[in-house]
Amino acid sequence: MKKCDVICPFCGCLCDDLEITVEDNRILGVDNGCTLANAKFMGKERLTSPIRRTDGGWEDINYDEAIRYTVDMLLDADRPLLYGWSGTHGEAQCIGVHMCELVGGIIDSTTSVCHGPSILAIQEVGHPGCTLGQVKNRADVVIYWGCNPLEAHPRHMSRYTTYADGYFLDNAFRDRTVVVVDVRETETARVADEFVRIKQGGDYAVLSALRAIVRGKGDMIPPSVAGVPRSQLERIVRMCKDAKFGAVFFGLGLTMTKGKYKNIRNAIELVDELSRHTKFTITPMRGHWNVYGSNEVFTWMTGYPYAIDFCRGIAFYNPGETSAIDILARKECDACMIIGSDPGAHFPRKCVEHLADIPTVVIDPVPTMTTAMANVQIPVAVSGIDAEGTAYRMDGVPFRVKKVIEPTLPSDTEVLGDMFARMKEAKGL
Amino acid sequence: MKFILNTGRSITQGRHVEHKFHRGYSEETSTCFIHPLDLLDLDMEEGEHVEVTSECGSVVLRTVNCEDLRRGMIFVPMGPFANHIIPSHTHSTGMPDFKSIPVELEYTDAERSTQWDLMEKIGGQRYEKM
Amino acid sequence: MTELLIRNACVIDPINDICGEIMDIAVRDGKIVESVGSGAEVIDAGGSLTMPGGIDAHTHVCGTKVNFGRYMSPEDMRAGRTARRGHMHATSGYSVPTTYGTSYRYSAMGYTTALEGAMAPLEARHTHEEFAYTPLQDMMANTLFDGNWPVMQAIHDGDIKRVAAIVGWTLSAVKGFAIKLTNPGGTEAWGWGKDVSSIRDVVPHFEVTPAEIIRAMIEANEMLNLPHSVHLHCNCLGKPGNYETTLETFDLVPNTNDKRQSLYATHVQFHAYGGSSWRDICSRSEEICRAINQKPQIVMDMGQVMFGKTTTMTADGPMEFNLYRLYHNKWSNHDVELETGSGIIPVYYNRKNLVNSIMWAIGLELALLTDNPWQCILATDNPNGAPFVKYPEIIALLMSKRYRNGVFQTVHPDTEHNVPLAALDRELTWKEIAIMTRAAPAKALGIVDIGKGHLGEGADADIAIYPLNINEIDPAKAPEEVIRAFGQTDYTIKRGRVVCCRGTCMVDGENTTIWVNPRISENHSMDHDPEFARNFDKNYTIRMRNYPVQEEYLQRNLCIETEARL
Repeated sequence: MKKCDVICPFCGCLCDDLEITVEDNRILGVDNGCTLANAKFMGKERLTSPIRRTDGGWEDINYDEAIRYTVDMLLDADRPLLYGWSGTHGEAQCIGVHMCELVGGIIDSTTSVCHGPSILAIQEVGHPGCTLGQVKNRADVVIYWGCNPLEAHPRHMSRYTTYADGYFLDNAFRDRTVVVVDVRETETARVADEFVRIKQGGDYAVLSALRAIVRGKGDMIPPSVAGVPRSQLERIVRMCKDAKFGAVFFGLGLTMTKGKYKNIRNAIELVDELSRHTKFTITPMRGHWNVYGSNEVFTWMTGYPYAIDFCRGIAFYNPGETSAIDILARKECDACMIIGSDPGAHFPRKCVEHLADIPTVVIDPVPTMTTAMANVQIPVAVSGIDAEGTAYRMDGVPFRVKKVIEPTLPSDTEVLGDMFARMKEAKGL
Repeated sequence: MKFILNTGRSITQGRHVEHKFHRGYSEETSTCFIHPLDLLDLDMEEGEHVEVTSECGSVVLRTVNCEDLRRGMIFVPMGPFANHIIPSHTHSTGMPDFKSIPVELEYTDAERSTQWDLMEKIGGQRYEKM
Repeated sequence: MTELLIRNACVIDPINDICGEIMDIAVRDGKIVESVGSGAEVIDAGGSLTMPGGIDAHTHVCGTKVNFGRYMSPEDMRAGRTARRGHMHATSGYSVPTTYGTSYRYSAMGYTTALEGAMAPLEARHTHEEFAYTPLQDMMANTLFDGNWPVMQAIHDGDIKRVAAIVGWTLSAVKGFAIKLTNPGGTEAWGWGKDVSSIRDVVPHFEVTPAEIIRAMIEANEMLNLPHSVHLHCNCLGKPGNYETTLETFDLVPNTNDKRQSLYATHVQFHAYGGSSWRDICSRSEEICRAINQKPQIVMDMGQVMFGKTTTMTADGPMEFNLYRLYHNKWSNHDVELETGSGIIPVYYNRKNLVNSIMWAIGLELALLTDNPWQCILATDNPNGAPFVKYPEIIALLMSKRYRNGVFQTVHPDTEHNVPLAALDRELTWKEIAIMTRAAPAKALGIVDIGKGHLGEGADADIAIYPLNINEIDPAKAPEEVIRAFGQTDYTIKRGRVVCCRGTCMVDGENTTIWVNPRISENHSMDHDPEFARNFDKNYTIRMRNYPVQEEYLQRNLCIETEARL
């Protein structure tokens, strides 16, 4: 049986046109998906039972034991960290916030090692953005800055920009100009109309130079800025000003490099400057399929998009202090629950080391690098494959990811809901 | 020799996000992409191993030629190998330096670790039932 | 069966023509009844002012744009925070509180129902998710159609039935409540960085004018038999001289419905400016109210501005950009494909600033110059004119000439040359305030029949008991008593149970989402229209099948089914 219009729970594109072939509750094929989608839907190596670390190995335990372990761990802890969340659906994230509030813990999502700096910049200067359909239907200039969609968001260009049909464009592929700015000549750079190769760490200077030229102060720009000739910068500004609709997309090349949120601030202010001449928008290329959902949920429930500390009862937000990396690097948390992400693979060693020193529970369908650091792992149904729930696309559009096969394991919502009920009971609520 | 290390996504790394116990994941994330002329300067051939050392540690990686890079820059797909040598300070932003990290490269005849070796080195426990 | 008896209530219930009678109110299973048994729980109101629960007919509290206001403003979140306590979760925020913050503060003020002023259909799921976390109010969502492509195409083709069919399909798909137009045509033009400057301008590419959109939507609204009328944010918001656009818009409105208005004009304060620039801006409230007084087919809300910090947020993207260029603070914008736009900036309304002082005065003038209080609803376009927690102060300003004069002394000294406020002696009565805050909103929204806005038998037992004896307090002389009482009820009762007592919320609560489902014959349904489906899948970045809001997003809900006349 073919299931149509399935939503892909891999990256922030949330492509919703997949066709999944299912027989006997098994997925046999994926049409329309990218290679990342195929790998996810066709994946077969899931845990089938909760596991607990023993002396030198692992043993299977049942859900009741695993959940009890987690509840006791969280209730015992002085400063628990509840981390991850980008790989699960919104309903589970909501329960997570309530759990964290109840135990006075810290809740953070993968945002802090992804587009956290973009949020800090947005909190300084705002965010002129739009939904992806605006770009698809209107944009005649598209700039990818510090991102490599062909590898990280493989269908971004075919669904929303370069290769997508646009209502207001006769021949979208010919009529759109694509600019790529990067330190590497990536796959994406090779298909661009214009590749701007900047020296490592030169983003801030190049953005400032572009802003100066937009403001008519090009004569103060030296002949070359971070390896980019002035003539190329001038050409790009002309292109932007002549555009009917320009769209900037940016990635971790801006957020992770020197300058961090100041780079993003400069990029937003460039877009702001260009908005005085024509239509321009800017959008972060969010990585996890529902990392933006974690920001949305945390925001309506606590007021802040990530890195929230409930230790004083109120919601307190101070990235750099209350963010996961810092909490772990300072060895501050004394218990950790991880859901829908893999800090074992993606955090600096020093942070991962601390996970081995404290009780750690991982809620994840498959073994990951974090499994190695866990005391207990609880496998769950995969959101978007055998569990359903809300996800927010990189532009803020909410989708309901679907169930294409019947689950054999509980969903994140069920596991967390059970934990929360027991926690409330233990607290006499 | 001094280099600048960048980490980031690659499509092969992405394919293995949910299959991290596979050899392919270990292979991809222990790869050091480097400009061929830099490799020449190191007096090395593609496929040989380098020890990459940052302010907070060293890791052994396998070299692969890559002309996408400027000289003086190496690229390692994000994962446990790169993170073995990434410093944890965030300059009060919550975000460590996953890019633009000064490192030293040196030829080594040492073998690469596996992803699980790395985790066990810091107190973890491998899970290899799959 | 649960029963409640409220004794010795001093009731003002304008819909049932009750004004200050001391009486008992009996409640069974969430509804008002004739009488209850002797086992009923009893609350002695002790002669306190008792009214139907407050209804905010236009507020921005849930959804994409509101949440972005929080997301970009940690400074606002820090400006109001409380810890978890009893049934109350932690809250953050002053002008854009978290959903729990909004819900608790409204509840403490006796508000039990609210209409979210602007929901982009594409992002409707988000609004409904936040409704679920706004537990102490019944919620409805105005659904944005100001730049809807298929609607504009059908208007251009002169096919009004198709307009109605598309609107009906969309409302039902996204679980919306009413048609909202925000700067009709302007938000589509903003897709190119442009705007419309009058109701006769032509929207680029679509070749329709704002006037045509407004007229067609009023007609479609009546074809669909919707409970509420078209809910309009006029073109040219915030521009000096815009009162002419507003008056021209009012002239478009036929009188087509005998139960309610045919047009709801929202936050009219922002649309009542004379002059030609910020230097000579002045109040045109008298002209606006003259029109309102002659046109029973129009109901408006004040859009009152109060001094202090707040956040502006609207689907009117181009307006926010203009405002940003005045304030230079920070600016967010979010255009929604094929549908609408939006923008957000933080602002500070300063009493030392002449323009802000004039805005403040105009809102009050609209309320004082409208003869019939059923035609002017009390609202601030929360949080655009001010956060809703300022409502008690607004009530005091309307009820006390002395208090008004006192504040007037503190505003920019040139204000008096530009506004008629100082000459207005009217002081609103308790009954008029009751009308403007619950009865008129219920009537205008068309929810009286489902039991909102009154305390007659069969009505929802949504009741607010304020710590105030209207026979002892002269509001003209004791504005501080009015502010105190309306700031915090003794009891807020929702669906027959006490949800908030002197500021403390007593239950977890569960909201009811009220939405409409116009029944449209098969041959007009968009579900069976291949052209609509083809264009949908071609132009949106979401598949048509993934667009409707699923049942899972409506927990407790009330669907108003209507018969469309197509």
